[in-house]
Amino acid sequence: MPDSGYPWPISTTRLDNGLRVVVSEDRTAPAVAVNLWYDVGSRHEPAGQTGFAHLFEHLMFEGSTHVAKTEHMKLVQGAGGSLNATTNPDRTNYFETVPAEHLELALWLEADRMGGLVPALTQETLDNQRDVVKNERRQRYENVPYGDAWLRLLPLLYPPGHPYHHATIGSMADLNAADLATFQAFHRTYYAPNNAVLTVVGDTTVDEVVSLADRYFGAIPPRPDIPPAPDGRVVPATGVPAEETVVTDVPAPRVYVAHRTYPFGTPGYDVMTVLATVLGSGRGSRLYQRLADGERIAQPDLVGAYGVDLAHAPAPLIATATARPSVTGEQVAAGLAQVVDELATVPVTAAELDRAKALLTTAWWRQMSTVDGRADALSRYATQFGDPAVVAERLPAWLAVTAGQITEAAAEVLGAGDRATLIYLPEGKQ
Amino acid sequence: MTLIADRPGPGTARPYRFPPVVRRSVAGGEVVAAHLPGQNLAVAMLLLDAGAGREPVGREGLGGVLAKALEEGTSQRDATAYALAIEALGTELVTGLDWDTFQASVQVPVGRLGAAVELLAEAVRTPRLDPDDVRRVRDDEVTALRMDWANPGPRAEAALRADLFGAGNRWGRPMYGDPDSVAGLDVEDVNVFHSEWFIRPGTLVVAGDLDRLDLDALAATAFTGTGGGPVDRGEPIEVPTRGGRRIILVDRPGSVQSTLRLGHPGPHRAHPDHVPVALAGTVLGGAFTSRLNHLIREVRGYTYGIRGDFGSSRRFGRFAVSSNVQTAVTAPALVEAVGEIARTQAGGVTEDELAVARSWRAGQLSVELQSPRAIAGALSTLVVHDLPDDYHARLREELLGAQVTQVSAAATTHLRPDSLTLVVEGDAAVIRDELVATGLGELIDHPPRV
Repeated sequence: MPDSGYPWPISTTRLDNGLRVVVSEDRTAPAVAVNLWYDVGSRHEPAGQTGFAHLFEHLMFEGSTHVAKTEHMKLVQGAGGSLNATTNPDRTNYFETVPAEHLELALWLEADRMGGLVPALTQETLDNQRDVVKNERRQRYENVPYGDAWLRLLPLLYPPGHPYHHATIGSMADLNAADLATFQAFHRTYYAPNNAVLTVVGDTTVDEVVSLADRYFGAIPPRPDIPPAPDGRVVPATGVPAEETVVTDVPAPRVYVAHRTYPFGTPGYDVMTVLATVLGSGRGSRLYQRLADGERIAQPDLVGAYGVDLAHAPAPLIATATARPSVTGEQVAAGLAQVVDELATVPVTAAELDRAKALLTTAWWRQMSTVDGRADALSRYATQFGDPAVVAERLPAWLAVTAGQITEAAAEVLGAGDRATLIYLPEGKQ
Repeated sequence: MTLIADRPGPGTARPYRFPPVVRRSVAGGEVVAAHLPGQNLAVAMLLLDAGAGREPVGREGLGGVLAKALEEGTSQRDATAYALAIEALGTELVTGLDWDTFQASVQVPVGRLGAAVELLAEAVRTPRLDPDDVRRVRDDEVTALRMDWANPGPRAEAALRADLFGAGNRWGRPMYGDPDSVAGLDVEDVNVFHSEWFIRPGTLVVAGDLDRLDLDALAATAFTGTGGGPVDRGEPIEVPTRGGRRIILVDRPGSVQSTLRLGHPGPHRAHPDHVPVALAGTVLGGAFTSRLNHLIREVRGYTYGIRGDFGSSRRFGRFAVSSNVQTAVTAPALVEAVGEIARTQAGGVTEDELAVARSWRAGQLSVELQSPRAIAGALSTLVVHDLPDDYHARLREELLGAQVTQVSAAATTHLRPDSLTLVVEGDAAVIRDELVATGLGELIDHPPRV
């Protein structure tokens, strides 16, 4: 059993303006990953501004003080790099992996949009990217069967006003109402060096990165009093199950069962991670064995369970199954609920536990097998837990989880009285 | 505040290196491996000459059903015991199929690769193929395809493929089959396909720390009990070019976006123009900064993204553009996309655009080839297309050396804007008249309106 999930060096430096610079040298391949986490996500959005953190992420690619519109992508790809960004309820991240000789270019680009986005932001750019994001919403959530499941589950799990109540993609009405001044203020408020972590992993040295970071980011002023998101740590149990049935144009009945568990990074969530793997990863999982293979009521490719790794409130655990032909939504819902209920009553066997830990071990090293995977992990741990080195503890923590802990945790947070169930039924077949 | 105004130039370029490649012939099969020192994970992938191209016409989806059936029990153990055994090592059996090959692979911490390859070979070489299980797997696969075909895309894709290559040919039908073709499969089809193609040794690809792996032992495991030699893989197929453009409209009532699939036949993988063609495709539709994405997304806001490329397999290839655009702008998006293809064919590429394309494609050979899984994929390219160990280094040089005249000539030769098939899957009641009014070509309803 490894005593560390991160057998590479980690160095952390804080610039005078508060920017944390994390470096992990690895000379294996001539590439470097540059990764920034800004501690702002959709949990910071007030009512009427849903989707703004994500739409803002798009604007970050549209030019800054010294970078013309469309140049950002062109410069990174023209250097041979891969790049992207993502927004979730917790945070927004930006990342590029480039051949090592282009590290300085990547840092210059990131600094320019951290310190100089607002002067370049125009109404035309906002209008264009608003249209792009609305098409993203149509493509990913509206135009595919079951595409809106996540949008429907969140309000079932988290009450109005909770920072996870609304989905990151936002509502069409709010996106339509977005105005330029709001985005200018959004950048001034949250895109400050003291609200970010810059991580560089790969073919470089600590000295090189710190010196370049100081050069390009060092003069960007910190912002005092960055407003925190609403506190969502405590979500009172209602004691009343939440259920929604959607009759719509889907090819088969599908059920999602969801629970609030523990925040990512806590011992309780480590237990949930192992539990989710026992429950729903692979053909040896309980859901596959019971519903796809045993009772044969669920389609084998479409059963599963997973936790959503959110750190600022009890994170969701979601289990799902889709009915085989001639099986009803009610049958699948009952089967799914029963397998989840049994986690508290039927102890996990040693074989089940070993299987889950083996799959999680491979998944861990898969993320660690690339410089970009490692950079994202270091940024996460620095942002959410104050120390990137905490990354090394996750895999050992998973491997230390016991069957007894899984039973206890299931009894504590997976009770039927505090469950959200979302059922899709095909039109004309209910 | 002081931001540095001057954009920094590149530092000293590190030499390009692809991991050292090791080839061996063992126990009647071939091993192709890459040494990744210090890497904790290892991947083994068995490549068989059993791709979709080997499926008989009318039996599309056979390889996919067989792939699923491999895990329904083996000569050694039943399905549940197999799942528990392989997952206890930390891997699932991952199967894949393209036109040229069938792949089965495992990914585990390096010390477990031997045991994982044993289980891989057990499933691939000695599956139980109980008739009841095969029929159930087939029915599940029909359901899975019906689920998939409820999404926008597969129907449009099938309509495009049939129009380009002819539905009477295997390569004119969907790579994974469709719900009807899979429903028509019987147990005998699956048994015959297995005995014909899954007992030949094939090639074992390994990516991992070779200091901690015994290639000969892995190979012996993978090739034990195999027989039969390689089979002729066939010459490139001559695909007739049809004159004239046409629009094929696939109805998806109520759709809030229209799915575009535009294309025409293109060069096969071994065509001498492969590199300039790939770069022309990159400028037109490959990179984020491509002409198509710039115009349709970044200027017009019609879509979340649009991409186009020349895709190729051993025997055929095609140029294809795909996107999802808001229903209300379907016609202008289509007109402008065709316009960019025509402009690129007529005028070629600029040095500025090519500079981005060649650096990007070359850089990706470092940036995207890090994990054992990615390296195994790169090795499989060597195997499938008979390429040398230093292929990636040579490709890099060829990309970086490509000239504007060469890439523009490839665009002129291999883009055919006047014989494009334009498949649009969307709400026909809303978009049909506008599509006809574009004058881009004759509109054909799919399936035909009655």
